[in-house]
Amino acid sequence: MSAPLFALRGIEAAYNGASVLHVPKLTIPRGSILGLAGHNGSGKSTLLKLLGFLLEPTAGVLEFEGRVVDRAAMRAGHLLRRRAVLLGQDTCLLKRSVAANVAYGLRLRGLPAPEALLAEALALVGLDYAEFGQRSWRQLSGGEARRVALAARLVLNPAALLLDEPTTGLDRASVQHVQRAVLAARKARGATLVIVSHDVEWLKSCSDTLLTLEDGRILG
Amino acid sequence: MEYFSEGFATALTLLLALDPETFSAVWATGVVTVLALAVSLLLGLPLGFALGHFRFPGRRGVRLFVDWMLSLPTVVIGLIVYAFLSSRGPLGEWGLLFTVPGMAIGLTLLGLPIIISMTATAVESTDTRLTQTLLSLGADRWQLLLATLSEARFAMALAAASAFGRIVSEIGIAMMVGGNIKWQTRTITTAIALETGKGEFATGIALGIVLMLVALVVNLLVNLLRGRSNGASVGRLA
Repeated sequence: MSAPLFALRGIEAAYNGASVLHVPKLTIPRGSILGLAGHNGSGKSTLLKLLGFLLEPTAGVLEFEGRVVDRAAMRAGHLLRRRAVLLGQDTCLLKRSVAANVAYGLRLRGLPAPEALLAEALALVGLDYAEFGQRSWRQLSGGEARRVALAARLVLNPAALLLDEPTTGLDRASVQHVQRAVLAARKARGATLVIVSHDVEWLKSCSDTLLTLEDGRILG
Repeated sequence: MEYFSEGFATALTLLLALDPETFSAVWATGVVTVLALAVSLLLGLPLGFALGHFRFPGRRGVRLFVDWMLSLPTVVIGLIVYAFLSSRGPLGEWGLLFTVPGMAIGLTLLGLPIIISMTATAVESTDTRLTQTLLSLGADRWQLLLATLSEARFAMALAAASAFGRIVSEIGIAMMVGGNIKWQTRTITTAIALETGKGEFATGIALGIVLMLVALVVNLLVNLLRGRSNGASVGRLA
């Protein structure tokens, strides 16, 4: 049996010396969808940043793809972040066309970005490449921009896709596109998903496991 | 009013006839502005990026110093540069006083803080969200630096246009360090001051027209860039 994608033991995270997250044990199997619910400030986004290697734990052991992520591994953090890709609440689009935005992560990896691949990723989030591909970032609505940002991560085919409030502030149509794209990412590409959302009903319907956090601790 | 209309008509004649003295001042202004702006950009862009991007001890003090330099009166800058370049000054043996390179040094001190400050602000304003975005897409350190500079390109062009406008229209430094020598260090601004003082109103108006046209072009450019730079906030997701 293959190792889980993530294994956390005794993980602690702190901001300015104040503990904000305590996870005694958490395992995320490959290909699963983990939903994270909880109030604002409960530690959901912090946990997501830890899993996305944008934040180092202050204590504990974090394993990714069967290997312990230590200080040395974090020094080459971009290699880890290329496997576990985060779409955070603070994410923005680059001042480029939609196609260039979707292709950007591929270019960072030195990979080709053929039009067909970009079109496929955009189609997953319900955007037509012929209509949107050459459109400037400044011509997009908020919902379209978020879907482009999601497409820019789906195209990377990451081992883990970490989504922080992917549907917040979107209209009903955009929410449905995002939800469909999330399911397609798992079904077609076998990605492991960790989703933070206040939409508990959606999390219940799509997650294999749903955890609730409160004051930096997992309730169950 | 006749006084004005006569002056204006003579000014147009001077410009259309490509009057050598008038265009000597225009040429000197162009050379010294390009030199000062080039050095300001070469030094200011990396320094501004470092100031806006990195967190280091004393950063606030450096920022305060740069902002203070922005508000320094140009005659004071001229005085300091004059003291350094004069024959009794520490750089006197270089013989740069009353030369175009000497003026360029003084005007660089005027343009450099503008470039540093505006670049730092541009990088600071994009940094938090952009850094997270680039890191989450898998950028390494170099890719992060290059992409941040690329994303701040409109704001940096705005900084360059602002510095250009300030340098080209400066008079205090040009007068004190350049010495207003005819055919050599006489710029548009120093020539306007001199010619008007001599009663040569037409020459002053002719040069004033050139300077106003330059200012108009720079302002149009600044407005265009400001619009594009401000539009960056649209990039934020919902």
